[in-house]
Amino acid sequence: MEVIVVDREKCTQCHTCVLWCGIEIGSLAKELNQAIHEEPQPVPRVHVEGNNFPLHCRHCEVAPCIDACPNGSMRRDPKTGLVYVHEPTCIACWMCVMVCPFGIVAPSSSHHVAIKCDRCRNMEYPICVEVCPTNALKLQVTRKGLPEGESHYVQYSKGLEGF
Amino acid sequence: MEFVHKKTADSAVESFLPKAAEQGVALVWDRYEGSLPQCGFCETGLNCRDCLQGPCISHPFRDQNKVGVCGKDKDILGVHSFLRLVLHGAMAYFDQLADFAEGVMSGEISPKDKGGSDKVLKDIQALLSNGTAAVMKEFPKGLVDGWRAKGVSPEGIARDLFKVSQKLDGGTSGVEDTLLWAFKAALSGCVAQVLQGRLKLAVFGDGPPKALEVNLGVLQGGVPTILLCGHFSPILKQGIAEAAKGKNMGVMGLCTDPLVPPHIFPPVTNYGSQEIPIMTGAVDLIVAGDQCVNPSLAGLAKQWNVGLVQTEVLNRGGDLKGSARKIVAQVQKAFDGRRKVTRDIPAIKESALMGFSAKGLDMKKIAQAVKGKKIKGLALLAGCNNVKFTQDLEIVSLARELLKRDVFCVSEGCASISLAKYGLLNPQNRESSCGKGLSDLLSSLGKDLPPVVDLGSCENGAVTEFLLAMGKLPQELPLVACFPEANRTKAVARAAWTVAMGVPTYFWPFLPVTGSPKTTEALGDFCQKTFGAKFNVITEKMEPAEKADLILKNLGRG
Repeated sequence: MEVIVVDREKCTQCHTCVLWCGIEIGSLAKELNQAIHEEPQPVPRVHVEGNNFPLHCRHCEVAPCIDACPNGSMRRDPKTGLVYVHEPTCIACWMCVMVCPFGIVAPSSSHHVAIKCDRCRNMEYPICVEVCPTNALKLQVTRKGLPEGESHYVQYSKGLEGF
Repeated sequence: MEFVHKKTADSAVESFLPKAAEQGVALVWDRYEGSLPQCGFCETGLNCRDCLQGPCISHPFRDQNKVGVCGKDKDILGVHSFLRLVLHGAMAYFDQLADFAEGVMSGEISPKDKGGSDKVLKDIQALLSNGTAAVMKEFPKGLVDGWRAKGVSPEGIARDLFKVSQKLDGGTSGVEDTLLWAFKAALSGCVAQVLQGRLKLAVFGDGPPKALEVNLGVLQGGVPTILLCGHFSPILKQGIAEAAKGKNMGVMGLCTDPLVPPHIFPPVTNYGSQEIPIMTGAVDLIVAGDQCVNPSLAGLAKQWNVGLVQTEVLNRGGDLKGSARKIVAQVQKAFDGRRKVTRDIPAIKESALMGFSAKGLDMKKIAQAVKGKKIKGLALLAGCNNVKFTQDLEIVSLARELLKRDVFCVSEGCASISLAKYGLLNPQNRESSCGKGLSDLLSSLGKDLPPVVDLGSCENGAVTEFLLAMGKLPQELPLVACFPEANRTKAVARAAWTVAMGVPTYFWPFLPVTGSPKTTEALGDFCQKTFGAKFNVITEKMEPAEKADLILKNLGRG
């Protein structure tokens, strides 16, 4: 599976990933000048919090959100392993919100669905990785659930120690 | 995401792009592509760096971070973003004016019309101290009374610039109030530009429009060549031309006023391709100001072993004439040292007739043609190039559309150079470029009028003088201003005062105010209510024909 990894040294907290996620994924218009005035307000799937760490869905191998969903709206793409919300059937019960250990799933009262990062599964490349001006975000193939490659990239569990 | 577009419509410039790639030379287009995607907060004016508690953003997609640390919300951020640009632009005109006036006052040059020059100098003092420049009396009374009532007419730089600059520091002014302060700064810039034009006329004298050639083909190759780049004192420019006289050397211009009577500095290219002349190898020395000069020129000049003289330095030392003589001696030396450098000059140039003025045009005939509906209206074309668009394509295509549809087009500054490169300032192309009504009007105005009438560089106020000479309030005329490829802050200030004069203005690319619905709306409806014209901020992508449709619709409003 390919996941997004974060280099905390490079993240400047510029929020470019949040902005573009809101435009490309969250908005109907898909265009900056219209998206920023859209109602209900588009919801970005990535959040830049303290400690220079853009939070993305981890697409956990044992995903509590899938288990908690009462009607099978939280699903895993069998091909890519990515976890996503099937919005037409989501009943906005927020079970997934409660069980996510990372606080990734956002309850959207205005959209009446649970909103989370699906790693741009229908796009060639995740938008946040594409727009990150410092290359702090990178797409990497995982082996046994952990990303390969340079050790300075934050791995799942380590990256969250500071929270 | 697809960011890349065709880089330039100018084939002379285009021929250098593969060469630059081969040599690993990064040009403006490479740097632009490298900067993509540009910061969306900055692009929409939702950011602020005016103090050290920030930088702040107003986040469009989150419930937190909606307001800056000091409390600026998205609307104040948006209007401040506009104010910052206008203020910077207005000051640029004061900078040019101050340089020139200082040279004249210190006796560096003996003006052709000493009495006239003294009168203008006195007026400049009045503009700087309390805004009571006599030239304001030449503006239509209705217009000036309106400005006074709103408090936006010039009151001296302490209020027009210093006070305006502090609006960015804080205070509780709302969007519309802040916007009026921005227009105040812009209008004082307008008067500064008009006075600079008047001083130029008094010092160097008036003359008929000049025939000249533009584009890279004007470079000669075999002779020492000085390139005057950007805006700096015309007295220095004249000094260089005088010192070079009879010495078999070329003195060319780039993003500078090409006409300082009796001298002509043929424009080698325009803003977007500012780096290319160095790559021809045919430039031996660059004399560069600050305004409109890309910092990248320093690196390129070094790479091509081209001398670089900065005009805006701390310790100027000596007189301008002495500096001019030194520059001319330096270029001869530079040329001798660069004999081995290959000269690669594309044989592309175009003739143009430039430097018209309201005085030299039969304004009555133009007014009659407007009244008799022989032409659809008048368009002012301004602005330079912007790397966000294919160089020259927007302005030239729009001008061609407008000419075909019988719109009388006047242009100024770098916009004129763009149009000149494609023959739109060449009288020979009048019949083929213009609709019948316009063509008839132009030929009745004189036998050698080009399709687009150039009113001179942005170092003089000929466009404002043209508007004043129309004899009516601009808002009563079918008149629009278009900035199809705007770039510098000067263009924003210029567009702002054009709106304040009652001329509906179209501006591309969109200004960094779109994050604030109130500011965007105020630039439209509030300006319409206050000045009788809208400052149109357009975010949609439009083809030149669509733009022309939009402009014609506006011209037909009356």
